[in-house]
Amino acid sequence: MKEIVFAGFGGQGVLTAGLVLSQVALFSGKKATWMPSYGPAMRGGTANCTVKYSDSRIYSPGQEAPDVIMALNIPSFNKFINMVKPGGVMLIDSDIVTCDTSVRSDVKVVKIPGTTIANELKNPKALNIIMLGAMVKLMGDFSEKEAIDGMNDMFGKKGKNKYEEANTAAFKKGFASV
Amino acid sequence: MGDMVKGNIAMGEAAIRAGMHIYCGYPITPSSEVMEYLSWRAQEAGRQFIQAANEGEAMYMVYGAASVGSRVLTASSGLGISLKQEGVTYMAAADYPAVMINVCRYGDGLGSLESGQTDYKRETRGGGNGDYRNIVLSPSTVQEAVDLVYLAFDLSEKYRNIVVILTEGALGQMMEDCEYPPVKEVPFYDWAFDGKYTHGPYPSQMAVDLHAKGMKNNEKRALITENEQRWEAVGVEDAEYVLFAYGIPGRVVLGIVDELRKKGEKVGIIRPISLWPFPQKAFDSINKNVKGFISIETADSGQMLEDVALYAKKKGFGNVPCYFISSPPGVPKSKYVLENFEAIKAGKVKEVF
Repeated sequence: MKEIVFAGFGGQGVLTAGLVLSQVALFSGKKATWMPSYGPAMRGGTANCTVKYSDSRIYSPGQEAPDVIMALNIPSFNKFINMVKPGGVMLIDSDIVTCDTSVRSDVKVVKIPGTTIANELKNPKALNIIMLGAMVKLMGDFSEKEAIDGMNDMFGKKGKNKYEEANTAAFKKGFASV
Repeated sequence: MGDMVKGNIAMGEAAIRAGMHIYCGYPITPSSEVMEYLSWRAQEAGRQFIQAANEGEAMYMVYGAASVGSRVLTASSGLGISLKQEGVTYMAAADYPAVMINVCRYGDGLGSLESGQTDYKRETRGGGNGDYRNIVLSPSTVQEAVDLVYLAFDLSEKYRNIVVILTEGALGQMMEDCEYPPVKEVPFYDWAFDGKYTHGPYPSQMAVDLHAKGMKNNEKRALITENEQRWEAVGVEDAEYVLFAYGIPGRVVLGIVDELRKKGEKVGIIRPISLWPFPQKAFDSINKNVKGFISIETADSGQMLEDVALYAKKKGFGNVPCYFISSPPGVPKSKYVLENFEAIKAGKVKEVF
């Protein structure tokens, strides 16, 4: 079983990125759970969700010991860096998370200039999908095609087919960045 | 393959499929998506939806809807359900069926928005004044939530009794894949008011022999207790310790038991699915030499623990110590539960009963 936390500012799309990964897992025949942090929140505050996927029954859907954490702002990095499983990975947007990241020697920090890539694509809203592409590559459980098909299937069912091309381009850039 | 669906939305859709005619409610976190979803979905499916001005009013709309024979649903959370209790006990007095979803949040009074199980006692003991019981069902996965909502309407109608789905904020808010049962079209109940007094006028409460009615209610409750116990059990036949947990903690503890048994530890779990009636039959398979019962709940004090101790006594385990592990709000952490379990095994924790 894999456990992943997606964390960042409200509005960056971290909950959606987590949902896409869980849907990709289902699309590939696995079991998945998605658990948001919810409760009192304010604009500019932090949001996070926990995704688990497995070939067998998932017992706890909650945060236990994440294999990988995606942090899209400094508060999220600080909040979660000590929670990563030893030997796990912290994936950050190095354009935003500019603090000292050498906190733990037993955690690999993967830095992607996500905001720069999004600006190059002229699609700043696609930061979450770019980072998701990098995440899927790091996890190594799904092929690029499998993940893109799963993602497009999900957005298609929500009636958002018009973003398919842009999402696919963003995902590919992220996937290639690792 | 299903799609990822949020627990609250899955329960709303399940109600539509179970033939719900009308939803009456008032929103409150973390249950609001049930009614938000039904606010458009009910209309799409040709059903009715009313947002009341408050919870008490909503419950009397539920009462009215049931009195004319509709399958009716309401949903709320902790304190919202408290506000409904006057209507609930009036419905119990009238033997009216309804399904009520409690997406429980943690704490007394306003409490918190976090997930909890602090409403066990109220839901399993009735909740309002008088002497009645609601059937209480508690799911631990989104799929089970769907299946239990579907079942709840049938049980509610069969016994002319309110059925409560007692779930938690965490299950209402999380997503998981699920498959929906087929859509049922259900006629209005034939015993209800039809505008022509076909079944006579509603008997005045004052004219009823309340003790005689109470004795009939006891018979109904005995029947429900015999027929409607539901649970999942793993490893209890050889267990030295049997853990009890329902809802979200239920699935977490199932995982812990699975892991411990793989290491050769003799530990079992009973996950009650019906909280009332409590699954006392589950005790029949427990190892007679069991050393302890442990209730794990997202609550401050052992609420289900009292039922565990009560039925342990009834089933001949009266001398087995009953312990409690209080998990903080949210989803219990496996590590936390394991540490507390180890402390109990090491004799560092005193039993409650």
